[in-house]
Amino acid sequence: MTIADRPIALIPAHNEAATAGTIVAQVRELWNCPVVVIDDCSTDATAQAARTAGATVLPLTIQLGAWGAMQTGLRYALRQGYRTAITLDADGQHEPESIGALLEPLASGQADVSIGAFPERASRARRFAWRYFRGLTGLHIEDITSGFRAYNHAAMRILASGEASLFDYQDVGVLLLLRRQGLRIVEVPVPMQRRANGASRIFRSWRVVGKYMLQTSLLCIARAGYYSRPLVDD
Amino acid sequence: MAMGITIAVVILYLVRRDHLHGSYAIWWIGAAITIGLLGFFPRFFDYLALYVGVSYPPVLAIVLGFGMLLVKILTMDLERSRQERLIRRLAQRLAMLEAQGPLNGASSSSPPYKTETEE
Repeated sequence: MTIADRPIALIPAHNEAATAGTIVAQVRELWNCPVVVIDDCSTDATAQAARTAGATVLPLTIQLGAWGAMQTGLRYALRQGYRTAITLDADGQHEPESIGALLEPLASGQADVSIGAFPERASRARRFAWRYFRGLTGLHIEDITSGFRAYNHAAMRILASGEASLFDYQDVGVLLLLRRQGLRIVEVPVPMQRRANGASRIFRSWRVVGKYMLQTSLLCIARAGYYSRPLVDD
Repeated sequence: MAMGITIAVVILYLVRRDHLHGSYAIWWIGAAITIGLLGFFPRFFDYLALYVGVSYPPVLAIVLGFGMLLVKILTMDLERSRQERLIRRLAQRLAMLEAQGPLNGASSSSPPYKTETEE
């Protein structure tokens, strides 16, 4: 297989030494593809664990958050010449076995982005938030916040651009940008593990949730009616 | 008058010492000149108010000052957002360089540097 049709796995990690190594090893073993761990200023041995397990580690010098780390991976993947990227969380809640199902719609040309969704995992509050954002954006996506995704080359290019650099989360803003560029997004139901370690970065305290809801709502409203613009080259 | 001149002198001093850079310096020199002139001609707003039909001159000064501040703060946040984007992309670029540093260091034309990974 040439580098062009081999996928690359991107795993942003922040203080996830306990699970990062395992997930890297699993992905490498199952799919034999290169694995990149983006170390978002961890204070523990995340980078070490990932490197030992055989991943390339991109060490961020300032903490950029989940999306900033993800974009680092996407930019790296593009520079290295990869045309398909898979993204996973480092906390072990995504099963590497499901990567095949995720790649399916991309390989068949049915979609540009596929999202591994497992709506049943969500708490009531989270499901309410999803429904709210679905209503606000008109996106037909169940699991808006899922970090288990596959992107094709077109999606990678859009998301690596400077336009996507000011997003704080990988959810609504990213999805709206993709939709605006006319990319097709599908959801693939996948099984998911309970988080082996750590909690969600977004849903952890009322203050953070409030800020997130406000920021994301504003983003939705600001981008309302802003879709289906022709694809621009960067 | 003393106040106007003091503020103007402080601003000019900061610009001269390079504490205010580029386009910011232009804005602030403008502000210094305005404040200095107003120090010499405090009755300027009385005439201006009469001319534009504002019955209470100090209000005109306050409204104009407020408007200028609003514009300045807005452009500051625009600039901050632009810089935030730059900083984020710079950090990402640095991470990419650090990842490939030890491998390609010898063959690439970039100057040699030490990364944390080598420790």
